[in-house]
Amino acid sequence: MRTRAGLRVVIAGLLLLTAARAQTPPSRMAGAANAFIATLTGKQRGTLLFGFDDERQRARWSNFPTRMSRLAGLSLGELSAPQRSAALALVSSALSRRGMEKVQQIMDGDELLKTNGGNNPMFGKDLYYISILGTPSEKNPWMLQFGGHHLALNITIAGEQGILTPSLTAAQPALYTINGKTVRPLGQENDKAFALLAVLDESQQKQAILNYRVADLVLGPGQDGKKIQPEGLKASAMNDQQRAMLLDLISEWAGIVHDSAAAARMADLKAGIGETWFAWSGPTTAAPGRNGSSYYRIQGPNLVIEYAPQRMGGDPTMHVHTIYRDPANDYGRKLTAK
Amino acid sequence: MKMRLAAAGLVFLSFGTPASAHRLDEYLQATTISLEKNRVLAQIRLTPGVAVLPIVMAAIDTNGDGVISTREQRVYSERVLGDLSLAVDGDRLKLQLISANFPKTDAMKEGLGEIQIDFATDLPRDNLERKLVFENRHLRPIAAYLVNCLVPRDPNIRVTAQNRNYEQSLYRLEYMEGGFRSGPLSLAWRRDGSGWLVFLTIVLLARLAVEWRKRRA
Repeated sequence: MRTRAGLRVVIAGLLLLTAARAQTPPSRMAGAANAFIATLTGKQRGTLLFGFDDERQRARWSNFPTRMSRLAGLSLGELSAPQRSAALALVSSALSRRGMEKVQQIMDGDELLKTNGGNNPMFGKDLYYISILGTPSEKNPWMLQFGGHHLALNITIAGEQGILTPSLTAAQPALYTINGKTVRPLGQENDKAFALLAVLDESQQKQAILNYRVADLVLGPGQDGKKIQPEGLKASAMNDQQRAMLLDLISEWAGIVHDSAAAARMADLKAGIGETWFAWSGPTTAAPGRNGSSYYRIQGPNLVIEYAPQRMGGDPTMHVHTIYRDPANDYGRKLTAK
Repeated sequence: MKMRLAAAGLVFLSFGTPASAHRLDEYLQATTISLEKNRVLAQIRLTPGVAVLPIVMAAIDTNGDGVISTREQRVYSERVLGDLSLAVDGDRLKLQLISANFPKTDAMKEGLGEIQIDFATDLPRDNLERKLVFENRHLRPIAAYLVNCLVPRDPNIRVTAQNRNYEQSLYRLEYMEGGFRSGPLSLAWRRDGSGWLVFLTIVLLARLAVEWRKRRA
């Protein structure tokens, strides 16, 4: 039994080395996926793997703690140290450096909820799940899902393309310190939005700022395929600097996926920036170094981003949910349509 | 990592903020409206926070046995529809219940349960320019309202204006049903008064053509 486990780790190590040496993101991801799968027992593989056409699993994600809203797949808590390391290496292979850092910070925040809550079993890093739809491949489409409380990454890989939509990032606490360093997992999403709002002139602000309260995400989990009527300020009415700032803000989500996929996505979004809308609800200023309590939405033909501070838990500046969608290509449907 | 967190002496910068993953003191009521030709469909998703659940449960579980029966689901759905109003072009319309889905009571106790009610109404007459007014008054003291219109699937329908009050309990929507799409197959002109002018011109030209052919023969 011990020999078998050892053999699995050796094989996985060799596959990981091969993956690390691979040059292109698709081969790197497929290699990392196969290396992870090689560390697993048959039963674990059965729990990890789903058919690529499994629509139920594809849509099974949420912002809730997994004890409340059960996810399928393998949780980090049920993996051995080498398996866990291989799982995170796979997630990392699909993301940019900043994207992986964001994921780690969201998970660190959840671990903090656990420790501060007297070892609350509802939270913590062990409760993040990984699943794979289809067969990892350099050419054929497959999907990687990773998520738990305040995180849902749905990454469809089809050759060179990597589609991150729909995905949810969120943070509570939205501000904490670790190793003496202050961390704001979604701080840039907040700061760049306030900076953009500040450079809009009075007339532009009048259009961008909605006169009503938005209490939550409109197109959050479970709202796949919906497209709401856009509102706010259209980017075609912004100047070059403002449009560049809007694109930079969008990159906080579009740049989570690995660099080459992010570059392709950003080029696509830049081409359609004139048809993109920016809408704001709430205060127009925030305390320095903290998130604000304002909601905003960025919406274009291929994009929906919502940033929604949450009253639940007391202080909306300490708890935020965000959603990132491509209504024309969620789950990479454009690429995988037969 | 646990050790790393412990050794780091994590400092939670917000004091007295409880860790809460679920809705607490509000009853989120999110409505999405879909426009079709001569028809309006809508869906309302209702999520009670744990702190207001007793108020919501008292309205649903009227016999207080802790179970939401099929009859109680139907009665509550009708009550919700009764607290909504939808008027189009000045006519207040009767809302027809299409379906209702209720979560398990345990999920609602966690602040997770989402009640979903779908309803629709037919519009009594054709109109090129429509004005829709939607109001939600359901359990107002604890409500957090959202209301949005989905982008119409029918390319002949176009939203032209949206207005809401601060709470989003009142929503005014203006839209056009046809009449703006150009092209030889567009029949939208028939709903416009000017269409008759075009029709009469065609008849007149046809008559002139017949007369001209008769004279030539």
